[in-house]
Amino acid sequence: MSSLRNAVHRRAHKERSQPKERKRFGLLEKHKDYVVRAKAFHKKEDYLQKLKEKAAFRNPDEFYFKMINSKTVNGVHKQAGEPNKYTQEELLLMKSQDIGYILQKILSEKKKIERLTATLHSLDSQRSNKHVYYAEDRQDAKRILSETKSDGGLPAFEDLPEKIKRRTAASYRELEARKNRAHDLEKVYNEMAMKQELQKKGKKRKLREDEIVCPTSKPVYKWRTERKQ
Amino acid sequence: MAFPHLRTLMALFTLPTIFFAGFVPRGRPGGIRGKPGFKCKPGLRGKPGSRVKLTGMKGGNKVVVEAHRHEGVFIAKGKEDALCTRNLVPGEAVYNEKRISVQNEDGTKVEYRVWNPFRSKLAAAILGGVDNIWMKPGSKVLYLGAASGTTVSHVSDLVGPTGVVYAVEFSPRSGRDLVNMAAKRTNVIPIIEDARLPARYRMLVGMVDVIFSDVAQPDQARILALNASYFLKSGGHFVISIKANCIDSTATAEAVFASEVKKLQAEQFKPMEQVTLEPFERDHACVVGAYRVPKKPKLAAS
Repeated sequence: MSSLRNAVHRRAHKERSQPKERKRFGLLEKHKDYVVRAKAFHKKEDYLQKLKEKAAFRNPDEFYFKMINSKTVNGVHKQAGEPNKYTQEELLLMKSQDIGYILQKILSEKKKIERLTATLHSLDSQRSNKHVYYAEDRQDAKRILSETKSDGGLPAFEDLPEKIKRRTAASYRELEARKNRAHDLEKVYNEMAMKQELQKKGKKRKLREDEIVCPTSKPVYKWRTERKQ
Repeated sequence: MAFPHLRTLMALFTLPTIFFAGFVPRGRPGGIRGKPGFKCKPGLRGKPGSRVKLTGMKGGNKVVVEAHRHEGVFIAKGKEDALCTRNLVPGEAVYNEKRISVQNEDGTKVEYRVWNPFRSKLAAAILGGVDNIWMKPGSKVLYLGAASGTTVSHVSDLVGPTGVVYAVEFSPRSGRDLVNMAAKRTNVIPIIEDARLPARYRMLVGMVDVIFSDVAQPDQARILALNASYFLKSGGHFVISIKANCIDSTATAEAVFASEVKKLQAEQFKPMEQVTLEPFERDHACVVGAYRVPKKPKLAAS
């Protein structure tokens, strides 16, 4: 029956809204809104009441551990440091995730470097390779020597527009910056990996200065060999 | 080109209020096209000093391409500073290399492909300053150790439609890529055979001008000699890339190169020059030379 009643068109119920002159108070509060607000208010009121009662009935001779664990520093009440919330395994996992992020950044940086070096061949720079000529006899050697002296390497672009020079220089600058960044990231990664290794199980000790074969500024550790099987 | 531009400037100085509106639109395009000290000569291939520029979206030149000392090789300057070859199949990259499109003076478009010296020993040798690679448009080249055909595609660009590249590769896996590449380049003939047995593909290969060998085998000098005896014309040339580690990992690189050169000299080859491939490859060298050179007549007294 109700479905039939629903089929008949009825006038929609219109909710009263906030009058225009009271717009500054926001939406008009309805009874159900008031109920929520009042409940929250009374809850807080009760809580405060309970705390006040607790303070009133406190035994001044009773000992509490907070008395020695916490103190005021410059007028601010400070609790004693919370002991480590995380277990060793959880900490290791978090660190490995940090390392994973750094590694991902290193890889992406290396990929970008590769892409840049594919198109930046440093054509104008001094070559670092060795060029050897083979001569049959003295005369041949003389001829080759005279020929190679006149050869001036790659053809120079004499009248390159300033704009293109700037573009090339910018590309080389980017490559240099990326290389530096990759190098720095790698350093960070090595340090983090070392810390992680040190946290793992396995007997190890820090080497003394005189035991280190190739001296470095960083501490060197040695793990005791352990049979795995 | 620069003349109307100049006239505009003069007009601006003399009668600014009257001529400003009328002259500026005419003067602007001339000012960009006729940049002083930046001329374009017609003709591309092999003419040293010929220059092409790419006109970008806003009318500025973004890349300048100039012919290299070696015929068929070019240098692109712009955001990149790279060796490149003119793409024989415009619009297609072989190994995801960067392509550079450039517009000529007459509006025709030319495409170049960047030649990565980290992936190609030949490009590294060219950048290393080798005097002559003996490959030029129209050359017939036998390429031993073609692998996936990355360098082969650049050699095919270099020799152009009038030249031929016979690319020999033993491994069927990388040979598949080679064949796919050759399907689009009519001047490449892929041969999936062992380069040690040239008799097996002797009916496919004619006489060639140059043999390029990049086989990285301990007996690569013998392989080169065998192929040269079949296919290389007298007075032809060879380019061989030597990886020191592949021949003798215990000896120093220099000693290995010297011993390889000795082996080549014993096989009627006459090495002419040798470049190491730093900084692109470690302990690699490229040796270039001639084959069966006729003896020079002794000069009596000069």
